Amino acid sequence: MNNNSLKARPRQRSGVWRRQTEGEIALYDPDNGQVHFLNDTALAIWDLCDGTTTPEEMILAICELFRMHRDVVVEDVRRTLEDFDRAGLVSWDR
Amino acid sequence: MTGAKVRVLLAEEQSLFREAMRIALESQDDIEVVAEAKDGLLSVTEAERSRPDVAFLDAGLPNCDGVRAAAMIRERVPECKTIILAAEDDLKTLIDGLEAGATGFLSKDSPLAELIEAARLVHQGETIVPRRMLGGLLARLIRRKREQDHAIRRMGRLTRREREILVLLSRGADNHIIARELVISPETARTHIQKVLGKLGVHSRLEAAAFVLQNGITDELVEAGIE
Repeated sequence: MNNNSLKARPRQRSGVWRRQTEGEIALYDPDNGQVHFLNDTALAIWDLCDGTTTPEEMILAICELFRMHRDVVVEDVRRTLEDFDRAGLVSWDR
Repeated sequence: MTGAKVRVLLAEEQSLFREAMRIALESQDDIEVVAEAKDGLLSVTEAERSRPDVAFLDAGLPNCDGVRAAAMIRERVPECKTIILAAEDDLKTLIDGLEAGATGFLSKDSPLAELIEAARLVHQGETIVPRRMLGGLLARLIRRKREQDHAIRRMGRLTRREREILVLLSRGADNHIIARELVISPETARTHIQKVLGKLGVHSRLEAAAFVLQNGITDELVEAGIE
């Protein structure tokens, strides 16, 4: 994740639903019928995709809360946001 | 992992609930309840006496609440990890608890199995936060960081002398004390204070003091060479 991508702000695409079933949380995209199951970290990152929060801010907050090494968190956040992007679940505000 | 058990302190005012927790925890081969307390100050005393690995502290403890008890335990028994138990999902209590040094938060309607697992995970160094609160908690941490960064930028506009004034204001010093500490006249102190208030965008000495304390920037002032 380079400096430019750390500053762009992901935003949830409108129309994507969040659903909870038997302890599992998933995102449902009505445009293509796809369902994306989320683990706890991915869910938290999804909640932060509000168009104002940068990936760098997400990384710093997760590192602070869980006292994790930055390298591990950067990889988690990068992979999760790439998954969201690839699935068309987010847009990017610059 | 060695054969040593996880040593737990339970601090909960209601004896029935405390007993239920004790029975659940002691049903596990790797957990031992070494102390109990029904109020906050007693929980701190018991933590100092028994040196537990993990302390469960009810947020609503009488005679010093669970968050304050967590802060005191962190100071006096630093090896003890604390978990705050709250009656409901309360983001403010969660954040206050984490800032006090707690490494876990559970609501009291969690299953006993989660209580048991929390003791193990916190002892292993993990932070326990209910998944449903994680997004809100991270958002709050991010907002606080933004406010701190904004405060540090505003503080960057101050001269060294003005930072000295701000430190003294945050400690409640009046004009005469400031003048004496900095070897200046009270009138000069008053002029400096007005400049500090203007640069920070606050309207009173109290607001200036709150600016320092609420934004947690005392360390930044100290690093700037002020003591």
